[in-house]
Amino acid sequence: MAARVDNDYPSLFRSETMSLVQLFVPTEVAHDTVAELGELGNVQFKDLNPDVNPFQRSFIGEIRRVDEMARRVRFFASQIEKEKDKVPVRPLYDSAPLITVGPRVAQTMDDLDVTLSEHESRLAQMNESYELLSSRLRELVEARHVLRETAVFFDRAESNQSDIRTSFEDSSAPLLQHDDRENQFSSSNVQFDLEFVAGTIERARLPTFERVLWRVLRGNLYMNHTDIAEPFVDPATGIETRKNVFIIFAHGDALLAKIRKVAESMGATLFPIDANADKRVESLREINGRIEDLEMVLYNTGSTRRTELAKIGENLSSWQDVVRKEKMIYETLNFFNYDVRRKTLIAEGWCPSRDIITIQLALRHATEESGTSVPPILHELRTNKTPPTFQRTNKFTEAFQTIMDSYGIATYQEVNPGLFAIVTFPFLFAVMFGDIGHGMIVFFAALSMILYERRLARADLGEIFGTFFYGRYIILLMGLFSIYTGVIYNDIFSKTLNLFQSGWTLPEGNGTVTGIPNGRVYPIGLDPAWHGADNALIFTNSYKMKMSIVLGVIHMTFALSLQLPNHLHFKRPLEFWCNFAPQMIFLQSIFGYLTICILYKWIVDWSKSPIPPPSLLNMLINMFLSPGTITEGDTRLYTGQGFVQVVLLFLAFICVPWMLCVKPYIQYKEMKKIQEQGYMNLGNGNGNDDEAPRRSEDLEGEEEGNGRAIAEEQDEEHEHHDFGEVVIHQVIHTIEFCLGCISHTASYLRLWALSLAHAQLSEVLWDMTLANVLGMTGVVGVVAKIIIFALWFMLTIFILCIMEGLSAFLHALRLHWVEANSKHYEGAGYQFMPLSFANAEEN
Amino acid sequence: MTAAVTAVAGRGGGDERRAPSILGRFGAVFETAEDAADVTTFDALHRARTLAMEALFFNVDSGYLEGIIRGYKAGLLTQSHYTNLTQCENLEDFRTQLSTTDYGNFLSNEPLPISTSTIADKATQILVDQFNYIRSNAVAPLSKFLDYITYGYMIDNVVLLITGTLHERDTHELLERCHPLGWFETMPALCVATNVEELYQTVLVETPLAPYFRECLSAADLDDLNIEIIRNTLYKAYLEDFHAFCVSIGGPTADVTSRILSFEADRRTINITINSFGTELSKEQRARLFPTIGRLFPEGNNQLAKADEIDQVRAVCESVSEYRAFFDSPSGAAAGGGEDGDAGIAAALEDKFFVAEVHLNKLAFLQQFQYGVFYAYFKLKEQEIRNLTWIAECIAQEARDRIQDYIPIF
Repeated sequence: MAARVDNDYPSLFRSETMSLVQLFVPTEVAHDTVAELGELGNVQFKDLNPDVNPFQRSFIGEIRRVDEMARRVRFFASQIEKEKDKVPVRPLYDSAPLITVGPRVAQTMDDLDVTLSEHESRLAQMNESYELLSSRLRELVEARHVLRETAVFFDRAESNQSDIRTSFEDSSAPLLQHDDRENQFSSSNVQFDLEFVAGTIERARLPTFERVLWRVLRGNLYMNHTDIAEPFVDPATGIETRKNVFIIFAHGDALLAKIRKVAESMGATLFPIDANADKRVESLREINGRIEDLEMVLYNTGSTRRTELAKIGENLSSWQDVVRKEKMIYETLNFFNYDVRRKTLIAEGWCPSRDIITIQLALRHATEESGTSVPPILHELRTNKTPPTFQRTNKFTEAFQTIMDSYGIATYQEVNPGLFAIVTFPFLFAVMFGDIGHGMIVFFAALSMILYERRLARADLGEIFGTFFYGRYIILLMGLFSIYTGVIYNDIFSKTLNLFQSGWTLPEGNGTVTGIPNGRVYPIGLDPAWHGADNALIFTNSYKMKMSIVLGVIHMTFALSLQLPNHLHFKRPLEFWCNFAPQMIFLQSIFGYLTICILYKWIVDWSKSPIPPPSLLNMLINMFLSPGTITEGDTRLYTGQGFVQVVLLFLAFICVPWMLCVKPYIQYKEMKKIQEQGYMNLGNGNGNDDEAPRRSEDLEGEEEGNGRAIAEEQDEEHEHHDFGEVVIHQVIHTIEFCLGCISHTASYLRLWALSLAHAQLSEVLWDMTLANVLGMTGVVGVVAKIIIFALWFMLTIFILCIMEGLSAFLHALRLHWVEANSKHYEGAGYQFMPLSFANAEEN
Repeated sequence: MTAAVTAVAGRGGGDERRAPSILGRFGAVFETAEDAADVTTFDALHRARTLAMEALFFNVDSGYLEGIIRGYKAGLLTQSHYTNLTQCENLEDFRTQLSTTDYGNFLSNEPLPISTSTIADKATQILVDQFNYIRSNAVAPLSKFLDYITYGYMIDNVVLLITGTLHERDTHELLERCHPLGWFETMPALCVATNVEELYQTVLVETPLAPYFRECLSAADLDDLNIEIIRNTLYKAYLEDFHAFCVSIGGPTADVTSRILSFEADRRTINITINSFGTELSKEQRARLFPTIGRLFPEGNNQLAKADEIDQVRAVCESVSEYRAFFDSPSGAAAGGGEDGDAGIAAALEDKFFVAEVHLNKLAFLQQFQYGVFYAYFKLKEQEIRNLTWIAECIAQEARDRIQDYIPIF
């Protein structure tokens, strides 16, 4: 096998070696092959027909069919979701898997298609009859409401009978004529000769309805309306509508016709109501009876529909799964080239070189499954294309890698900063967050997430908690490292631990006393005697500030050193000599020197030294402003300092033109040389010469017909070399690096600032809350302590752990992305996106 | 939708940054203009100041929406999309093809035999949703501007309902055919009215169309001719009012929108003229229907009012260089002579109007800090839906030879 695997075990140091493979798949096993590879999830297929319209591709028919099935499955899912009482859906891991590979796959799919469409038509039919029945029921219910409400109007009118009589007698002749006609009826309903229209209308439309009617009839109407208390629910959509009963009295057929027309066009429902009270009662009874019947029928329909839905729910998730997978399979098959003559599909894709054996096993398995004897053939192609970047992560490294991937995907085979972030990231975080107590809270929170990992992973956590859960291993390490830095700072909830003997003896006495060193050295971390001292802040500030610079320079030096394996791996001696070397010298001669000075100044016992302690800041400034001159008492650190500093400064200044000019000059010479030899600008000239002879041996042992395919693979990526671009790029690079060194070093001071802020904030919180109640005694003291402790603990968690933690996280992120990554990381790769059923499940 | 959002983010930032520099440039104009105080510099000063003000404060109220609308515009189908669509074998292909565009899966939950009307309805629904989103986020005067856009649809709906009622169509069917953007709540009551007076008193009096309608009150009965007159009178009043409103906003909005509205007015004028040949519409009545804006106004309108045949219309249009081309190509059809030729010219003219409208609407996107883009986008989207419907219709009816007759937008 031609796979050149650099090391035996996969590592995060570099991305996986990738191979471009070609697959010749006989059409009859194509489906099973892709299904198998999808389960395996480590081949990224290339689209070999980018110019072909989606609907002109070979498997569009199958995709359509799957789409239609997917639509049906979605329909079922939405129906089940809409159902008020929860219909149980059996989860996927519980359902019997539908076998969609093997010789009977076509029939399985056909069966599934038939089953789905049967269910759909049955469900649609039931929905239809259910809707029909419930709309009829709704109409009846509305009618009942109208009857009841109008009865109220009539009753009220009846009680006012005498008034109406008098008013009638006062009115003019035409009304009196009616009186004559009324006399034929019984005297009880004599006053109701006014014709009326009754019905229901949506409440929102009522004002408009009233207004329009008033204008249409010029005010010649008497309208009465009441609300119907309960809402009407549309069975199909579940939307609630509220309605009103109205009754309109008007006079004359023309007007009534107009009212009816307006009412109908405004979406009102009209009901014929008799003016006679007995008839009304009778029809109310009749309607009630019909409502009862209908409710019975409706209940039966609803329960059969529920049974049907429950039956669907049994299989729904396995259907969803199958449909989703089938769609992915056919979409992938559409990427393949179809060779009609040989009845094979030709696929190309990237896969990790070390997985080729596994893939071949999978291919063999697929052949056996499908019951044919023609196996798909895999062989590796040589190519100049840049392969995708694949970092093999596990659940522990995944989140760390994501931090770096969101900055930029590493260039293929570049040194991966994600590996080192596993340690540096939590450490830099902890420098800012250092507190044993807070660290423990964070640590145990993460630990509990990890212990209940399985259960939590299955639950839907929501976006915010989901993010925390995703980064649980980062949080775990952050907590652990915070405990460590907390020990170093000797800080626990702003108090200190006095585990060992302090190195200072405090004499008895009131007021400010001066500690006397007693010869002991506190073995780890800050001496507890500093806690509460007057000059504690001055001391910790100086200590943390210097520590930030030291850590920063170490981190940057380390990041810069990561260029080294890159240059060695990609065989770029030019880069090594013209970029790495001067950059390293530049950084070390200024900031490396500063770091050494800081450490030296810490080592020296200045109380016994003949010279006073120097100010390192002034020393660094004077190193630039007046090189060679050393002021005693201010910048003097050691003898021979002037000479050393001049040499270092000289080295640093030499590095600038070195970085700036050497690389473009050498490239210019090379270009000249090539042009003098008579070659024109073809290809990039440095990678091709060693490619050609290796080809034949690499491809030995491949089965057949591989020569042709390679000839097609000549569309390499051309890099256009323009001298002007090289110069500009180098100038920018140099300026960026030199200025960056200064600003980045200063940027690490955020470690000090945040750490200080964190310590101060937790101290303030303690002083403002618990410190006030600790002295209290009695019942009041107990109650106050409980309340204040709860308050203090909540604030500790929300402000100090979560809020401060997020801010420290952000700053650690920045230090990695900007300060460290800019030193070595190209991040110009693209992510390896294999066809994988498992990945798609997550989305 | 993602595309739209990114576009918004990009644009919003860009606008913010650009505003101060424009101010700076015109700040210089103010200073130099202070010395030479003649009329032209005053004019330039005024223009510069309004423009600078627009640029300064436009984004406070409308920057977000302009970003949204430009994002929407980026989602309009391009020529390559249309080429792909015209190659579709059937409506399923059509759906697959559309799913790769901004339309996304808008048809994916439709059961299979898809009808062209479903496609048109769903696409219109997208347009309406977009409009409502913009409208509900707008503040004055943009909200008023957007309301004006809906008035046009209201007029169409009113006329549709009146005509339908006149011919005794089913009211609910009519209501379904109304454009959702032109919906107003008393609209269903229109079908009650039997004469113009009643129409006004019952329904229209409380709609924004009421002031436009007052001029039609003289018309006595509702018959086809009168309805047509009502429609055109309403439109005339609407266009004039909208135009006046845009001018009152001033700045680039006035420039851009009045260019589009002028064309709209001229198109109506020409159409009215051509359609009135051989009808009982008198020349005075015809003249009264012409909008008093547009590039043909006033002398072109006067000549058109007296025109008797299509050649006279052509002569009038000669005076405006952009309109000259409208009457060029269908000389063959005109040679066929008679009624048929006129109809052919009218049909060809319609297409050319659409092309010209699309062109003008596209121009609106070249300028920033103005409301014209809102009008232009919705008109372009409407045209796109017409195109989609046309292509879908051609596919459904196997009329492949005419499938290319859509109006390309981008």
